[in-house]
Amino acid sequence: MAAKIDNQLPKHPPYKLIGKNYTTPDLIAKVTGRAKYAEDYRADGMLFAKLLLSPVPHGHVRNIDASEALKMPGVKAILTVDDMPKPADAMTDLGQRIPANPLGERGLTNDPVYQGEPILAVCAVDELTAVEAIEKIKLDIERLPHAVDPLVSLRPGGPNARVEGNVWMRPTAAPGQPAPPPKVAEVKWTDADFAEYKDGKLPMGKATDPEWSYGDVEAGLKNAALVLDETFVTPNTSHQTLETRTAMAYWQNGKVYVHCSTQSTAQTAPAIARWLGLVDDKGQPDISKVVVISEYTGGGFGSKITSSIAAIIPCILSKKVGAPVMMRISREEEHFIGRARPSLHGRLKVGFTKEGRITAVDMFVVMDNGPYDPQGDANQSGRMLSLMYQPPAMRWRGITVLTNTPPRLSQSQPGGFQGIALMEPILAKASRKLGVDQVAIHRVNAPVGKAPIGPPGPNGKRLYVTSAYVQEALDRGIEQFQWEKRKAMPKKSGSKARGIGVATSCFVGGSIGFDGLCVIKPDGKVYIQSGIGNLGTASVSDCHRVTAEMLGVPWEKCEITWGSTAKNLPWSCPSGGSQTTHAHTRAAYAVALDAKDKLTQIAAKDLGGKPEDYEVANERVFHKGGGRGMTLAQAAKRAVELGGIYDGHELPKGINKMTVASAQALAGQGLVAVARDTMPRDGQTHSYVAGFAEVEVDLETGKYRILDFLAVADVGTIIHPRALGGQVLGRSMLGIGHAIGQKWVYDQHYGLPLAKRFHHNKPPTILDAPEKMEWAALDIPDPETPIGARGIGEPPVGAGCMAIVNALSDALGDEIFRRAPVTADVILASLEAGKPATEGLTAHI
Amino acid sequence: MAIVRDIMPAFELFQPATTDDAVGLLAKYGRDAWVMGGGLDTFDWLKDRIKRPSVVVDLSQVNDLTGIRPMGGGLEIGALTTLTEIVRNPVVKEKFGLLHQAAELVASPQIRNQGTIGGNVSQDARCWYYRGGWKCYRAGGNICFADTPSAINREHAILDADRCVAVNPSDTAPALIALEAQMVIRNRKGERVVEAEDYFIGPATDITRMTILKPGDLLTAIRIPDKWAGATFYFEKVRDRQVWDFPLVNVASAAVYSGGNIERIRIAVNGVAAHPVRLKAVEDAVRGKPRNAATADMAGQLAIQGAEPLRYNGYKVPLLRNLVKRSIRGVEEATWAS
Amino acid sequence: MADNDFPEGTPKGWSRRDVIKGVIAAGAVSSAGYLFRSSVVRADVSAPGSVERLITLNVNGQQRRVDVMKQETLATTLRYKLGLTGTKLGCDRSECGACTVLIDDVPHYSCSMLTHTARGKKIVTIEGLASAEGKLHPVQQGVVEEQGFQCAFCMSGFIMATVGFLKVNPNPTRTELAHGISGNLCRCQDYDKILTAMMRGAELSRRA
Repeated sequence: MAAKIDNQLPKHPPYKLIGKNYTTPDLIAKVTGRAKYAEDYRADGMLFAKLLLSPVPHGHVRNIDASEALKMPGVKAILTVDDMPKPADAMTDLGQRIPANPLGERGLTNDPVYQGEPILAVCAVDELTAVEAIEKIKLDIERLPHAVDPLVSLRPGGPNARVEGNVWMRPTAAPGQPAPPPKVAEVKWTDADFAEYKDGKLPMGKATDPEWSYGDVEAGLKNAALVLDETFVTPNTSHQTLETRTAMAYWQNGKVYVHCSTQSTAQTAPAIARWLGLVDDKGQPDISKVVVISEYTGGGFGSKITSSIAAIIPCILSKKVGAPVMMRISREEEHFIGRARPSLHGRLKVGFTKEGRITAVDMFVVMDNGPYDPQGDANQSGRMLSLMYQPPAMRWRGITVLTNTPPRLSQSQPGGFQGIALMEPILAKASRKLGVDQVAIHRVNAPVGKAPIGPPGPNGKRLYVTSAYVQEALDRGIEQFQWEKRKAMPKKSGSKARGIGVATSCFVGGSIGFDGLCVIKPDGKVYIQSGIGNLGTASVSDCHRVTAEMLGVPWEKCEITWGSTAKNLPWSCPSGGSQTTHAHTRAAYAVALDAKDKLTQIAAKDLGGKPEDYEVANERVFHKGGGRGMTLAQAAKRAVELGGIYDGHELPKGINKMTVASAQALAGQGLVAVARDTMPRDGQTHSYVAGFAEVEVDLETGKYRILDFLAVADVGTIIHPRALGGQVLGRSMLGIGHAIGQKWVYDQHYGLPLAKRFHHNKPPTILDAPEKMEWAALDIPDPETPIGARGIGEPPVGAGCMAIVNALSDALGDEIFRRAPVTADVILASLEAGKPATEGLTAHI
Repeated sequence: MAIVRDIMPAFELFQPATTDDAVGLLAKYGRDAWVMGGGLDTFDWLKDRIKRPSVVVDLSQVNDLTGIRPMGGGLEIGALTTLTEIVRNPVVKEKFGLLHQAAELVASPQIRNQGTIGGNVSQDARCWYYRGGWKCYRAGGNICFADTPSAINREHAILDADRCVAVNPSDTAPALIALEAQMVIRNRKGERVVEAEDYFIGPATDITRMTILKPGDLLTAIRIPDKWAGATFYFEKVRDRQVWDFPLVNVASAAVYSGGNIERIRIAVNGVAAHPVRLKAVEDAVRGKPRNAATADMAGQLAIQGAEPLRYNGYKVPLLRNLVKRSIRGVEEATWAS
Repeated sequence: MADNDFPEGTPKGWSRRDVIKGVIAAGAVSSAGYLFRSSVVRADVSAPGSVERLITLNVNGQQRRVDVMKQETLATTLRYKLGLTGTKLGCDRSECGACTVLIDDVPHYSCSMLTHTARGKKIVTIEGLASAEGKLHPVQQGVVEEQGFQCAFCMSGFIMATVGFLKVNPNPTRTELAHGISGNLCRCQDYDKILTAMMRGAELSRRA
């Protein structure tokens, strides 16, 4: 049956490079230890900085007495928030001003809002001196009330995480206007709102985020054969990149050189400029004053999209002391400043027909936002749910609560993960209640084709996606996972119980509008500039294989330049958010078209005829009828002779100013191809994964093993199979970590974290991974992008996590857990009690 | 004073080559001296700048503290012998498989390559309040932060708590107790030998120490008599992650069965109290009984007599019960496992 | 604010004040910062077991003279004094394995060993695996062939752990190898592909 369907599905043409494995250009440096990450650089006379972190979860620094510290030999400078620039407003590509949040981070503070927030930095000849100096500093801190649990903060009379209040209010934008900046206000719910708390049901008081809905939710629930009303809590999880956000900086000729860890080489330069207050006369970040060097980054997962505001501390210190400054960030410091996924407390009322089709979803979420900028996870959880399960009617309500815990930021599948995590247990429970197979209930609710997503826009219409082949992914999974055979196996034997689970997951799969830049030089090679960050997803080189493919140039004759904004890089998408493969296969396609245009024009000029009479292949541009032609090397030489648009002296309009500056620097070296992706797209690009898992639970200890796991991805055309497989299984494992153990632990009375290191936060080890892991990808091209490729980093997370969680409830029933992670103690205590025995709603336990 | 971590304070380092020199240094520097074996417990304390000894006596160069030697029908294991050496030793594996199993489940391969048996049994409590530098009873203060209404005490004690509710985290300790091992301790005055069971102390005895070792004392060797050589062993460790993590609860038992009855047995558990707990009452109750489900159930029930769970560690009660049960009748594997 | 106001803090009672006094007296001596900080000398250095400041290390087959503090870890010495930055620090607490090096062929966390302890032993880091001519070690070659790892911050630790494990068990099953290299954490969570690459490395090692 599956084979028949396959024959009807769209296919891409055969490619020489696309879809093939290859050795990425960074690999030899990595295996030999020569690859340099931020902490691997040394500079003459380099000094060291150490941070003094807030000992209190919320407070105000009344006085800092650093006199003893400053007297110490070897202490060079102390930096406080008074030395920090006020962050400049951000400007969009369209010139829209996004005002800096007055309650945003500045790197250091006198008003700490979480324990571990940096208050000051000491710069000294070595770290030992810096640390001893810090111990001599006397801090006079006024303690303020703190809240580490969002629900505690919402109680009548509950504490506020900030002096201004405890909830981010998000005013809606007037039509055609940018949204006004968010504000902090105080919101408390009533005792009546909290009546159901003791039963583990999420209280639903006033929701302050802009509510949205579509369809008739009430009717949908009323007419349902089954209505489930379920509370589920997802964990706060630190990104815990293996490389902390260490940075080293120095100034030369008025420019700051920053060695840092980032997901975007190109976009970090304006971010650093903005944080440092370096703006040009138009108020735009002055990227001519910043050089970002980051050839290798040790993981990001969304926490280093444009590096980190902490990176400006060594920048400013370096200016102050006139020497290079290295600021190493320790693992414990990384817990504090390294970002984390915000947890969502969710309560969903979901109606089902007796066949398992969802009739309506009424969703309510409380987001533990941390103390700083309001995160998008809460709203995104609803959007992704609306796409993944296609409820015909849905209402979303939410509240963004501030807590005195480390700042949050997008983490792999931000919000999408939480939406999937809140919904999947309900789908699994409905499958049991209705007697509908787990896969079947996912299949009947899956998006198909240009499926709608999210709330209606201002025109009253809902947006839709570019494509979705989730049913095909489920069908592939049924077969490859041998679902039916496993389903027929007994559930209990001896002291063990078995279960199988499936989960589907989705996320944004790509953005548009970025630039491509390459030079075909007279040596016949193609020099490709890449401003994508290199964190090992391989997108920094993978995407550019499209250019080589289209120009018919062997990969060995392509050189990728990346890793430093001093190396003439184009404006690029960060490596993150599942955006890059889509964004930059498009940009690579656009730049290849530009190169082809220029090549055929040069050929027509020299050899006669019209450009369209020529084609480009096999390192040549030649007349379609055969015969006349020239090599790319010859054409490159001619481009230099012709100048103008051909060698980069004249540049097209519409490309980013960073790309302009880079192309200008490369002008005259060969045929300069440069273009912005302005290709059309009908729909919002999204990617999908179906996850399948089997677990065996030890009923006497609560421990479980993941026997088998399969992820089937619908991500469009496969660009680089090994990198794709690494992403599919790697991000699935990140999700599995959320299922099996990753979490935060806070003592609520003191507002202090108890779990700050790997040993406490429990990122999975190699022996916690499923005993068998497989992946597959449908390789069906997306119809709305030239090569058909979409991003993959995000959707496996929810699929990995919830396939495990659903397998656990398949093995154990519905009365064991109501939150993730599901650990041995939770299972054993609930089995013993015969009901969920872990506190359902207390945060960070 | 502002708190800052992750840089070790300066100390004077000694790396003696002989046990005599080591004992001499410990005597000389007394309370100022910190004894370091593999260093895996030590470095956390020093890097957190919580403990600041002026002198560190690193035993890594003392060759006579390492090695596994036959002694009587049993073995003498130098205190500085690494866990990997113990895991790889054929005699340990063949005759005292209980210790082999326990050592193999400690932490990670690299930690076993460096961590020593002496260090594993002498390590300090891992309570995250205490280790976080909170000034609790164990740290010389007058409160137990893990036993307040807001405390997160999932990993803490259900037995024998006295003010402090931390647990002993060692995996090899209960195995050694079950094997009736003896600890050889030296100081300047000479050598003494104590039963493994008596090596560990609870907060009621001294709330700041985990073992009987006092300043100047050095654990030099662990002797395993032949009493339990080749017996039937059971070791199980339940932990969160399968690498690095300390036990939530572990159990070690050595038993000799004859004609389906329990002729003699020793059972010890850890992760439930500030010291590894030998379950003498259980041993006495099951001795002479048939090795069956009823006896195992009875043993499990008896093991949890007097258990007092805290807010978040109630699961340890059934876990202890079930592990003790299994230590007698084994695991009922699923038929699909074959 | 007094120390007592915080539950966390440094307990008193140890003789740290003496140590700090010693440090201040000794001062910070060098403009080269991290590299040449001298250690504090306070105790009787003629006692048995006292150690020198200048020591010789055998690293990647070379004898290297180096000036180290008493409390200095091997990872710091390798990275900051010998220029061997291929050894990474991911946690500095024996919790991740990124700093794994071989000491006499046995994998150790170099963040958790004093440099002084490594005296007289054969230290091999990631930089010491490939031949002088640049031919990759079979385990490195396995990574290249399978595109093992993503960000690769954990890679040198994993490779060193694998090389060490293969010396004891040259023909492991996939499960055995997973146990052998289980003391290494990958946050990209690319464990499946890492194992495939390392199994390939094991195969190439047997052929070499």
